[in-house]
Amino acid sequence: MKLQHNLGGLEGLDPINVEKQVFVEPWEKRIFGIHTAMMALSNHLDTALPNYEIAKVPTQFKSFWTWGHLRKGAEAMHPFEYFRLRYYEKWLGGISGFFVEEGYITQEELDTRTAEFLEDSTKAAAPLPKGGKAGIDTQVDKYLREGDSPMRPAPAPPKFKVGDRVKVKNVHPGAHSRLPGQLRDREAVVVLVYEGAFTYFFPTEDGIGTPMPVYSLLFQPQDIWPESLTEPNSVYYNDIFEVYLEAA
Amino acid sequence: MPSNYPGFKYGADRETYSAAKVKALESLLIEKGIITGKTVDQILSYFETEMGPFNGAKLVAKAWVDSEFKQRLLADCNAACQELDFPAGMSGAEGEHMRIVENTPEVHNVIVCTLCSCYPWPTLGLPPYWFKDPTFRARVVREPRVVLKEFGVTLDDSVEVRVWDSSAQIRWWVLPMRPAGTEGMNEAQLADLLTPEAMMGVATVQV
Repeated sequence: MKLQHNLGGLEGLDPINVEKQVFVEPWEKRIFGIHTAMMALSNHLDTALPNYEIAKVPTQFKSFWTWGHLRKGAEAMHPFEYFRLRYYEKWLGGISGFFVEEGYITQEELDTRTAEFLEDSTKAAAPLPKGGKAGIDTQVDKYLREGDSPMRPAPAPPKFKVGDRVKVKNVHPGAHSRLPGQLRDREAVVVLVYEGAFTYFFPTEDGIGTPMPVYSLLFQPQDIWPESLTEPNSVYYNDIFEVYLEAA
Repeated sequence: MPSNYPGFKYGADRETYSAAKVKALESLLIEKGIITGKTVDQILSYFETEMGPFNGAKLVAKAWVDSEFKQRLLADCNAACQELDFPAGMSGAEGEHMRIVENTPEVHNVIVCTLCSCYPWPTLGLPPYWFKDPTFRARVVREPRVVLKEFGVTLDDSVEVRVWDSSAQIRWWVLPMRPAGTEGMNEAQLADLLTPEAMMGVATVQV
């Protein structure tokens, strides 16, 4: 398990820096927008619940790209790199690398154009190209408004019910997980069984990706951390996929 | 706008390089027919004008003045959102399954995503930097009272702190307490008092 899977509860960190802006540099807005467009144009949306006729959208983008891909990339990084880079720096690296790997652009094209902007301030300040087919932006808007719900019919009844005591399995996350590492081997109480079942964008090595129940679990901090490190009168809730759980 | 956050005083070269690289990428994607010259601006405009914390503020303000609406919001957040006259999209991207938890004199809620940055976009917009910062994500789950104090919220020991970590598909947010001294205010005036931080549980609402 890597540190980025297991952040919760680290000791000895500095005070929080309360930066309230969403973007601290103007360039960060652009990579956020590119990522969101990629999610909105992803080829998997033909199986999403809204009726996306994604094959008919006039974009040259024909790949599968979701939050899961972005997270998988970040979580697969060496932790020293993960924490050296700022949030959107990781996005820029992962997304530009994806476009090169998938053959939409070459590394040389990207590097050459980047160098042009760095060397020539007039080019760097010039407007972006115009144009493109309007159907692309219609789909992007539809995706923003209709989303991509992971809820699916439940394939089987939930294994656990409200009030059950459960234990989080000690699963190994591989490149990407939705299980916070600090919960491995810890016990909790089921406080809510969510209606239906939830899928994930793609199968992960640790077992999510097919529709399954999800539970709201109530953890007592002293069941996770040494009591001397916890605070009185506080509790910790997590939403956990069934595959991560066994009876306590 | 440059950030005042000391942790983000990265070298100017690093920022200049990233700015050039993202512009190179966006221009190539437009030329190759992947996105249009308007796509990114359209997305940013959506979060500036249609889906942002101003929506959450309207919902909270209504819940403060209408206790039956509040119960519906707490029971089924997405359904209650549909009752207000919002633009289409209140159950759209990153808002498909939202839930809100209520602060009371006995209970204080705070949200976090220890694994990344899950956040209810339609009601709160895009998450601020501190929410995405590994330091907040690491600390608030184990020492929420100390963290809240750094944000300026001091809680009596008798108040139970509940921390909600978005590990799966539910996007949580917080219904803060209505402050004293707002008895004569209408919904629009009340909505103006709300901040994203209040609706994440790291601030109280100030008059």
